[in-house]
Amino acid sequence: MVPHLKSIQSLLYRLITAPSGVGEGLAAERGLPAGGLESVIRGDDRLSAQDRVDIYANMYFYRLLEVMKEDYSATAEVLGEVNFHNLITGYLLEYPPTEPSVMWAGRHLADFLRDHPLSEEFPFVADLATLERATIDVFCAADAPVLEAAEMNSIPARRWAAVRMRRVPASAILQVQWKVADVLRAVEEKRRWTQPSRVSNRILVWRRHSRVSYREIGSGEAEALTALDRSRAFAEVCEMLARDLPDNTAAGEISRLLAQWLADGLIMRSSAMRRRALPHPAS
Amino acid sequence: MRRSDFPFLGFGVGLRRPHYAHVLENRPPMDWFEVISENFMVAGGRPLEILAAVRDRYPIVMHGVSLSIGSADPLNRRYLSELRAMAKRFEPAWISDHLCWTGVGGRNLHDLLPLPYTEEVVRHVSRRIRVVQDFLERPILIENVSSYMTFRESRLAEWEFLRAVAEEADCGILLDINNVFVSAFNHRFSAEEYIDAIPVERVVQYHLAGHTDCGTHLLDTHDHPVCEEVWALYARAVRRFGAVSALIEWDDNIPEFSVLVQTAERARQIYRGAIGAKAAGDGSSSEIHSEPAL
Ligand SMILES: [Fe+2]
Repeated sequence: MVPHLKSIQSLLYRLITAPSGVGEGLAAERGLPAGGLESVIRGDDRLSAQDRVDIYANMYFYRLLEVMKEDYSATAEVLGEVNFHNLITGYLLEYPPTEPSVMWAGRHLADFLRDHPLSEEFPFVADLATLERATIDVFCAADAPVLEAAEMNSIPARRWAAVRMRRVPASAILQVQWKVADVLRAVEEKRRWTQPSRVSNRILVWRRHSRVSYREIGSGEAEALTALDRSRAFAEVCEMLARDLPDNTAAGEISRLLAQWLADGLIMRSSAMRRRALPHPAS
Repeated sequence: MRRSDFPFLGFGVGLRRPHYAHVLENRPPMDWFEVISENFMVAGGRPLEILAAVRDRYPIVMHGVSLSIGSADPLNRRYLSELRAMAKRFEPAWISDHLCWTGVGGRNLHDLLPLPYTEEVVRHVSRRIRVVQDFLERPILIENVSSYMTFRESRLAEWEFLRAVAEEADCGILLDINNVFVSAFNHRFSAEEYIDAIPVERVVQYHLAGHTDCGTHLLDTHDHPVCEEVWALYARAVRRFGAVSALIEWDDNIPEFSVLVQTAERARQIYRGAIGAKAAGDGSSSEIHSEPAL
């Protein structure tokens, strides 16, 4: 039973996902029963068997095209309708959806774009797609308790060096070759986007109170935030940041960055802090 | 599975993104919400915050689109685990998915495709529903889908297939009235005969939605108001099935929340009208199993 069901479902899957339509998909089929598709699917005076499978083929492509347009609205705007349509046709062949949620369907688009001919005409577009994908991933990344500035300030300064820090899961640091944050911001603000300059840069994407934001960051900050993928002592973070800073400004710059990270909700409260906070004096 | 194991939730609507803010800020009166399970299978962030806040104030039902119960592929255990974890956290009144397949060979078409209606497929699907119910430790509901093709090898009518699967799996039925109407047109069968053949004790929920007339076929687009023929079919169902929770689905061209409220209210009025008519006839008011009078 299952082998028979599998062969029918596999046939329909191939026809529905055939890049040039069900007709060409059928022409490429070997081993169709005598009588062709009509011997599997019932056609009538209104719609032939092929017309009926075509309905599913159209729904498959256009549903996913819509999802991609929503997930990659800036990439779609930069490329234009025809290019984007053709891009997604090719993408779905290379990376057909496999996950239960349609939200994962577009997760490989940036990788696909890197080797795509469209990257010759739009060399920054793979970076742009990388940034758009990061905003989606950060939007639904795991929650974590955030270390607030007030709490950090309540720790005596002499103990700061030993405070363990880690970046919240809802954040990402991207290394890109084009100034694509400007393009995404322009599209989001419904302004005209302009060709970005080719400058290696790093973008921090993060979530605070359900809102996803992004900004360019310097190499020292990027290095320190990347290292905070795992728990580090604050002293270690300071050392990393100080490496690229002149001695006379290092202390000021480090405290400015720390204040910014805390305001952005980038640092997790360590479990040690949570334990300390538990026995509330009022309760 | 007994219908009395499921609460009567009344008249609800599908929770969709354009209405999140309104629902959270204004807490509009609404009997219940249905949510698409897969939209909340994420690690954290806003989707789960919203679901938790909605669940605090309203009953919810989890409606899935990727169980792929009719696929020749093995069941996706990772998906089932996520579903179970979500149900543990949000305590839905029940869990439902579709009588269809959505992919094969590890690929997902993100669409609800019909099955050949044969005894063999009845056994295949009902065995899998039993596995899912054991895993989730609760009976589930299966929904009839809109379809655009039928298989030459089918030996059962769609309603016979639905009934046989539900009985062999001992699961509930989510009867989508619009899907009955759409498929009846597309495959030239009688929607009334379909409704009248569904076992009363298995129907736990209805879906009501709009579709698009493409001339040669009707397309289940959920982007229009519920049409008059579907309302008439719903009235017939209410007279047959009695106290069954109803839900308005609207997924595209989503109108103001107030339009959804009005649509749910119309479903309530039709229900009350049928209950009243029945109660006036024989004195009972809860379960109505009489023959349709339309
Ligand atoms: Fe439905």
